[in-house]
Parts: sequence; C-alpha cells; structure tokens
Amino acid sequence: MKILIVEDEVKTGDYIRQGLMESGFVVDLARTGLDGHHLALTGSYDLIVLDVMLPDVDGWRIMQSLREARSTTPVLFLTARDSVEDRVKGLELGADDYLVKPFAFSELLARVRTLLRRGAAPVFQDQLQVADLMLDIPRRRAQRHGVRINLTNKEFTLLELLVRRQGEVLPRSLIASQVWDMNFDSDTNVIDVAIRRLRAKIDDDFEPKLIHTVRGMGYMLDVTQPG
Amino acid sequence: MKRRPLSLVVRLTVSIGAVITAVLLTFGWMMERSINNHFVQQDVDELNSVVQALQYLLATVPADIPADELHQRLASVVTGHRNAQYRISTDSGSLIYSTPGFNLDTFARTARPVEEITIDTVESWNDHQEAFRGAVLWIESDRLEGKARFRLAVATGIDFHLHYLDGFRNHLRIVTLAACLIVLLATWFAVYQGHAPIRRISREMRRIRSDQMDFRLEPRSVPAELVELTISFNEMIGRLEDVFRRLSDFSGDIAHELRTPITNLRTHTEVALTQARSVEQYREVLYSNLEEYDRMAKMVGDMLFLAQADNQLLKPELVDIDLQSELRNLFDYFSAWAEEREVLLENTGEQVHVHGDRLMIRRALSNLLSNAVRHTPEGQSVTTTLQVNSGNVRIRIQNPGPPIPEEHLNHIFERFYRLDASRQRSSEGAGLGLAITKSIIEAHGGKIRAFSTTEATTFEVQLPLKME
Repeated sequence: MKILIVEDEVKTGDYIRQGLMESGFVVDLARTGLDGHHLALTGSYDLIVLDVMLPDVDGWRIMQSLREARSTTPVLFLTARDSVEDRVKGLELGADDYLVKPFAFSELLARVRTLLRRGAAPVFQDQLQVADLMLDIPRRRAQRHGVRINLTNKEFTLLELLVRRQGEVLPRSLIASQVWDMNFDSDTNVIDVAIRRLRAKIDDDFEPKLIHTVRGMGYMLDVTQPG
Repeated sequence: MKRRPLSLVVRLTVSIGAVITAVLLTFGWMMERSINNHFVQQDVDELNSVVQALQYLLATVPADIPADELHQRLASVVTGHRNAQYRISTDSGSLIYSTPGFNLDTFARTARPVEEITIDTVESWNDHQEAFRGAVLWIESDRLEGKARFRLAVATGIDFHLHYLDGFRNHLRIVTLAACLIVLLATWFAVYQGHAPIRRISREMRRIRSDQMDFRLEPRSVPAELVELTISFNEMIGRLEDVFRRLSDFSGDIAHELRTPITNLRTHTEVALTQARSVEQYREVLYSNLEEYDRMAKMVGDMLFLAQADNQLLKPELVDIDLQSELRNLFDYFSAWAEEREVLLENTGEQVHVHGDRLMIRRALSNLLSNAVRHTPEGQSVTTTLQVNSGNVRIRIQNPGPPIPEEHLNHIFERFYRLDASRQRSSEGAGLGLAITKSIIEAHGGKIRAFSTTEATTFEVQLPLKME
C-alpha cells in the first residue's frame, strides 16, 4: 500500500512518515504544496494524507485538481482549525475523512486503515476466527474454546470490531465512534470499562489472552502481545 | 462625513440670548409707545382745553361786542398754552381770527373736520422744520354774526415732545444693547460653569486603566441630570471589568493548566536522561508522556471549541433530533460504566424532537450525564426528564448526592471552575466540560441552569423547539 503525505511542517511530516512506514506502508513525503500537487497527480497512490494549510499551493487546490482529474484516490485531510466551514469545504471537495491537529498517531493510523479498507472489495464472512475465538456474525454469537459466551449486543459489536481489525491498535475515540456512534472525547473511562467487561468474558478463563491494552493509545486484539 | 453638532455652550448661549434680546426689544418698544401715547394724550388734552375755552367764550360773548374787544378776547383763549394756536373762520371761509405768528391756513383748509379730538383723530404734520399736532372741527355759536357754524383749526407744537422722545429712544437702545450683551455673557458663563461637573467626570474617567477597572463614579457627587449617565457608565465599566477579569482568569488558567503537564513532561524526560536505563524504563517514560500529551491535546481542543463559541463561530448544523432516542443511546454508551459504579440511569417524560446539531447536543448531554453519574452515590439513580412547554423543550438531568453549595452554583459553568480548589487535575478533565455544554446550549438559543438541594442536584436545559 502506497501513501502520499503532503505536510510542510518538518517534524510532523517525518513522524507521520516513520509511523506509517513502520506500520508496513510505503510512504512518499512531499514538503511543499507544489511537490505534493505534482506527486498527487502523477504518482499512483492508495491514499493521500493532506495538510490543508500549506504556504504555497494549499490543500484545497490539490484536492480540486485531484477531483478534476477524476482521481478516486481517497484523501484524508489534516486541519488545525476545527471549524465547520473547513470540514464542510474539505468534504465537499471530495475528501474522505479529516483529522484536527493535534491528533493522536494511533487515530491517524486507524483512519488510514479504514480508508484503505473501504477501497477494497468488502469481505462478507459469516464466521470470524482468531485463535480459538469464533464469531458467528449472522447469529451474533461468540464462543471460545468451544464454550458459548453470552455477550450483550454492544459487547458483540465491540468484539466484532476488534476481531475484524485484528492486530491494529484501536484508539478509544475510534471504538466509541464505531460501536456507540459517539464522535467526541468523553472525559470518562467508559471504553475501558466496556473492554474490561468484555475481557472478563472472553479472556479471563482462557489462554492465550487476546485483548491487549496499548498504553496511551488504545486496545488491540491479537494472538500475540504487541511490541 | 457627518458634521459635528454645534457646541452646547454656543447652542444655549445663542438660544437664551435670542429670547432675552427679543424680550428686551419688545419691552423697549412698549415703553416707547406708551410714552409716545402719553404725550399725544397731553397734546389732545391741551387742544381740547383750547377748544373748550373758545366754546365758552363764544357762548358767553355779547353779540354786540366791538371788534377790538372780541379780538382781544379771542387772543386770550390761548394764553397759558405756550405752543397752542388756532384759526377760526366762517363756514364760507372768511377768517375771523388766527393766532398771530402762526400759519394754519393750509391745515385748516385741507384737513377733514372731526367730531371730537382724541388720540385717534388728532393729526400731526411738519411745517417749516417744526412739528405740530392738531385737528379741524366745527363749532357753533349764535352770538357771533347770528347763528352760524364756524370752522376751527387748532394745533400745538410738539417739537419738545419729539425731542424728548428721541433722547429717550437713544437711551433705551443703548440700555437694551448693553443688557443683551450682559445676558449673553452671563449665559455663556453659566452654561460653561454648568458643564464643570461633566469635565470633572471626564477627568475621573480618564484615570481608568485596564488595571484599575474597579473604579466607579460616585452618583451622589454629581448633579441630578448626570446621575443616570454616571450609573450607565458604572454599569458599562462593571460589564467590561467582568469580561476583563474572566479573560485574564482564562489566560491565567490556560497558562497554569499547561504549565503543570509541561513541567511533568520536562522533569520526567530530564530525569530519564540523567543516566542510562533499560528499554523498559524508557518505554515507561514515553507512555507516561503520551498520557500527558493526550491530556494537553484534549484541553487545547476544548479551548479552541470555547474560543469559537466566544467568537460566535459555533454554527449548529440543524437536523431533527429525537431527544429520547438520543438519551437512550447515551444511556447505552454509559451503561457499563454506570453499572460498575452501581448507578442506575432512568429516563421519564415525553417523546420530544428538537432542531439542533446532533453532534453538539450529544456532546452537551453526554457531559451532563457523565457529571451526574460521577456524583451519584452507589445504589442510586440518575433521572432524566423530557418536557415540552410553550415552544420550549426542558431537559432535566437530576442526580442524588451531596448538594453543590450556593456560592458555587453561579460559577460552575465558568471555565476551569472547580468546586474544590484543591482538587487539581483529576480524571475529570480540565474543568471545561460544563463551559462547553453551556456554549453549545447557548449556540442553540437555549438556556442552562443548575440548582441543588440537600437531596439532589439538577441541571436544567431549555431548548427552543425550533431554532430561528
């Protein structure tokens, strides 16, 4: 998967590039709007991460050019101003998602993955499996090691999210928005409690542990411990 | 460009001066007129007394009086009347007598005879640089030349009257002019003096600086007309002071709230770098830093939101919101957390729809709900109530628990306000939640208030059913 980052802030650009590369992506970094404009239109990318506040050619122009060129490359734009106008403008110009600075890298990564997945053909699977955890999607049932586990509706949705995005660190805000449709930071530990309860049901009595806490970032489900 | 209005001193001086001048001129004119009338009356009286004397003479004179004696008697009629004269002739025009030294021939011939001499009928004219007043009238007598009608012209010189009047008029003009000048000067001075309190207030106002906003004008030390101005000014300064104080508190708070995590980060990083450590220890430092960064990022985000609200930049995207289902979703979201705290969530009331920004309303309600859950003792429940009355939706979120003291209730919607000053950065965030809630509600044209009794604390949100 090849990603183009257009970001004039040196450190931000470097860290995003490093983070995405270490997450297994091929990354090009353009440090000026002009370079970004050129690369976006000539290169072949699966995703473009675009800072809209650029000194020369701004992000809006790049997006406009992309749309005029009938490109379908998904665009995630970064903005420093959380204003409705910016959001609306970006989405009207054909951006697919946006993040407001300062953002967490885990959040960016999660969104990048979501966008990349969106392009791919959706996988309809009735059964999901990680180690000995089995999810029966149509019947919304879970079992581990052959033992049926009783989950509430939301617990199942949460578990399904974790399983579908196995191996990815999911930030709390992403979990809140995907499972409960709450698109803002709550100053409570609601997600931690929900995870703890889910853990009690699927991990406490079984080995290996599947749900892992990634400190300061979020949660992930995998057979092996992260890092 | 609009012209500056005329100065108050000029306005008042001109208008008062004009009125007083008009009054003085009228007064002078009336004086002059009444004196003139008085003189005319005197002249008329003199003329009438001459006429009467003549009539008496004509009535009593013997018919056979010799011409010499008659002439003497006729001459004696005007003795004592220094300026009087007359001329008497027959109906046909032949002269009987005319006061010597005068010539009344023209007047006697041309003037129209009158019934009686009064102010209105008397005439005046000039003859050889002298002014006269007089009249022509018919008198009858049966003693002279048989029963007959005589044409009498009687006149008196009025030069000395006119002379006196001229002097008087000049005098009056000078006095009037002087009076007007004095009045104008006095008015100007009085008005200028009258504005002294305004200049004093202005001097006091000039002393106000941004660091002395507690200054107030003393309404009791100014004239009654300026009391209202002073009070308005004091109120304005009060509002400014309030905003000023909040702004400076806010920036002070920001500095303080950011200083603490930055100090933590710095210290932690510096200590970590003083000696070589294991990978595990470095990782621990980074994790701990990450948590601080998170907190700071959240705070900056919240403050940006509030700054937008302050600048009227919060523009709700209005959609139809079913409040009951919105609350249900929030209950669902908070349920695990509330259960763990052994707090129940209950909703009662009507099904209500409002127009609002879904994300913002959700955020506001979520803040209120999480607050309520946090302060509810174990085993009790948070109750939400939805109600519609007269175009408003009332959302009440009530939780049992220790009451919020009255002195805090007015402040809990302020930024960074914490009930317990010593309770620093807890899990509850930076203390911006309620401030954000309030700005969201106000951006929707609603109101929020809180009240607290010994049993329960209630937050009440009022939203208009439809936003204009």
